[in-house]
Amino acid sequence: MKRERQETVVAAETEDQKGKARMEAEDGGVDELLAALGYKIRSTDMADVAQKLEQLEMAMGSSAAANDDALLSHLASDAVHYNPSDLSTWVDTILSEFNAPSPPLPPPPLSPATLQHHFDLHPAGTEQNSTITTVDIPSGPRCPAEAYHLEPLHAPAVTGRIVNGSDTQSEVSPSSRDRKRMKLCTSPPSSSSTTDAATSPAALPVVVVDTQESGIRLVHALMACAEAVQQDNLKVADALVKQITVLATSQGGAMRKVAGYFAEALARRIYRPQPARNLGGSTLDFAAFDDMLHQHFYESCPYLKFAHFTANQAILEAFAGCRRVHVVDLGMREGLQWPALLQALALRPGGPPSFRLTGIGPPQPDHSDALQEVGWKLAQFADTIRVDFRYRGFVAASLADLEPYMLLGPDAGDIDGEEPEAVAVNSVFELHRLLARQGALEKVLGTIRAMRPRIVTVVEQEANHNGETFLERFTEALHYYSTMFDSLEGGVSAASDAAGSGGRRNQVMSEVYLGRQICNVVACEGAERTERHEALAQWRVRMGRAGFEPVPIGSNAFKQASMLLALFAGGDGYRVEERDGSLTLGWHTRPLITTSAWRITSAAC
Amino acid sequence: MLTREEGEEEQEEEEEAKGRRRAFSINDNVDLLAEILGRLDGRSLAVAGCVCRLWSAVGRRDSVWEAVCHRHVAGGGSSAAGGGCSTRSVVAALGGYRRLYRLCIGPALDRLAGSAGGRGSTTTTAAAAAAHHLSLSLSLSLFSIDCYERLGGRQQRPASLLFLCKPVDVS
Repeated sequence: MKRERQETVVAAETEDQKGKARMEAEDGGVDELLAALGYKIRSTDMADVAQKLEQLEMAMGSSAAANDDALLSHLASDAVHYNPSDLSTWVDTILSEFNAPSPPLPPPPLSPATLQHHFDLHPAGTEQNSTITTVDIPSGPRCPAEAYHLEPLHAPAVTGRIVNGSDTQSEVSPSSRDRKRMKLCTSPPSSSSTTDAATSPAALPVVVVDTQESGIRLVHALMACAEAVQQDNLKVADALVKQITVLATSQGGAMRKVAGYFAEALARRIYRPQPARNLGGSTLDFAAFDDMLHQHFYESCPYLKFAHFTANQAILEAFAGCRRVHVVDLGMREGLQWPALLQALALRPGGPPSFRLTGIGPPQPDHSDALQEVGWKLAQFADTIRVDFRYRGFVAASLADLEPYMLLGPDAGDIDGEEPEAVAVNSVFELHRLLARQGALEKVLGTIRAMRPRIVTVVEQEANHNGETFLERFTEALHYYSTMFDSLEGGVSAASDAAGSGGRRNQVMSEVYLGRQICNVVACEGAERTERHEALAQWRVRMGRAGFEPVPIGSNAFKQASMLLALFAGGDGYRVEERDGSLTLGWHTRPLITTSAWRITSAAC
Repeated sequence: MLTREEGEEEQEEEEEAKGRRRAFSINDNVDLLAEILGRLDGRSLAVAGCVCRLWSAVGRRDSVWEAVCHRHVAGGGSSAAGGGCSTRSVVAALGGYRRLYRLCIGPALDRLAGSAGGRGSTTTTAAAAAAHHLSLSLSLSLFSIDCYERLGGRQQRPASLLFLCKPVDVS
């Protein structure tokens, strides 16, 4: 990201705004938001300082347009001496540099640690950090753990009305769109509807804006950017992305992170229409890192556990009475779903069946046989609980490469007059990847059908991220991932104290995991866009076409799932619902993932 | 003289009576002790294990913990008759009832009680478990996942049950 002066100004402005809010809390009447960032400003002074900052911005803007480097570099070096934490004084002194020199006032000292937090507020991957040069704030190492400390501070303050909302808006739009601002005293007309235009700085009314409004503004900016991208209007999109990054910092918690990831994904899409680097599943590095992220995602929130438990229950019920069972897992990973099923089979009335597992996984980057290791662990486990266990691993770059004869193996048919083995096929978040290639899903469903399974369990995201237009997909994804991130905030915050940094690390990892999905949905196209989620209704149609009919998942699974959710701290927001026989896990009113079960249409049997 | 002998005799008689009463000590009837300990809740049982070596040994018996587990989960008791043996062997293979309680049931009950308390209810732990239907099968499933994670000797510590951990108060 090349350093542009207006970005510098913008960044300086935004941190000033935040600085203002911070200071208020500390001094009776000092604004808390900015105080948290290390700036001391009294709320009574806020209007004043806001006006002066606007003047400053215009002055700098105008001098930039006039290519007057001398003044700015002088400011840049001398600003070091002024402590920016006492913002009103700082702004006064800087402004006076434009008019007449004045001695700097000794401001109250402030620990650099708190200032450092400002940088941590930037979402991961933003380009803003490198451009902040005017103010001498130590940009320390990014510690996401600390950043989250700030969120509780922000939350109560954010609901109040904050002056900086409008100012951020007003300063961002002119600086990014209109460099040539010659007059010192004009107020920017393009931004918030509530700012009045006034000719003299003294009479410029500063309007108090709700942060709710800035949140809405952020969403609008995201939508506008997506529209611009769809229309291939890359310049506007570029400007909007920067605006989004700035706006995002005025939000707290989940919204900020989501906006950050979406902004990053949009930026990727804008700057690399043909990605040199794959964001889909095919890079080898990606695969290894992805496993680790997946593991953390498993630990920190209930989605995967819900998926496993409900699918296991459906499989258990389908296998009732069978002496030989065969499970095919389309996405083996660490095999965390199967110990619970093995244990349940071991304890079922009538004793355990003889169990065969076929695991399918992607090729590993370091050529290690991860599938075989997982199989070995599962075999050890099965041996402990005395279940007859056999395992086979299949490495396949894509599920479409599989053929039925590979999976069935020699034991499938009748052996010595015994009944043929009962087959179950399990897919957790795997089928949607096949939609990237024409005909792949049909082929896989055909393969599955050829194995004559008793039950096929499918767990998929409950969202339509495979719409025809980019804007459709973007909007859907925005709502979906906002809800996901909200649930992460709610769910992990309570448990995070327990595991300490571990819990927070899990949350961060889960967010990165989801961030990758966001990147894939937004920035990739064609064969690389593998995160083609579709809603249950669409899957029903597809499964119906392939010759499957839905099997209702019983109430046992529902009870188990509800129990499981009750165990998650902060689990009040999670809801289990039953819809036409399939179970949905959602956060408050929004369904997020769905488990459904299928069997071959009996007419065809 | 007479008074003193009488007094001594009386004392002896009293002592004998006391001796007869003292002859019944719970520590001599270990099975009874196990029965009683099996009716406690997890925390009390752990505390009881600190009384003396005998109580510690009895308190470590898996049968005692089995009783505790079954008492605190819904649906566990009803299946004890038929599936009891197989359940016992499976649980023993996975690490025993004491471990099951420590890793899964205990934290889960605390979590449920905590959330119930948060909603203003004043039910006891057992009642809370019944109210939320913590089932043995769910606990066993979680336990088996944890056991599986510990296999294979990976460096990272198994974390599938972290979500159950009680928040540590560091005030």
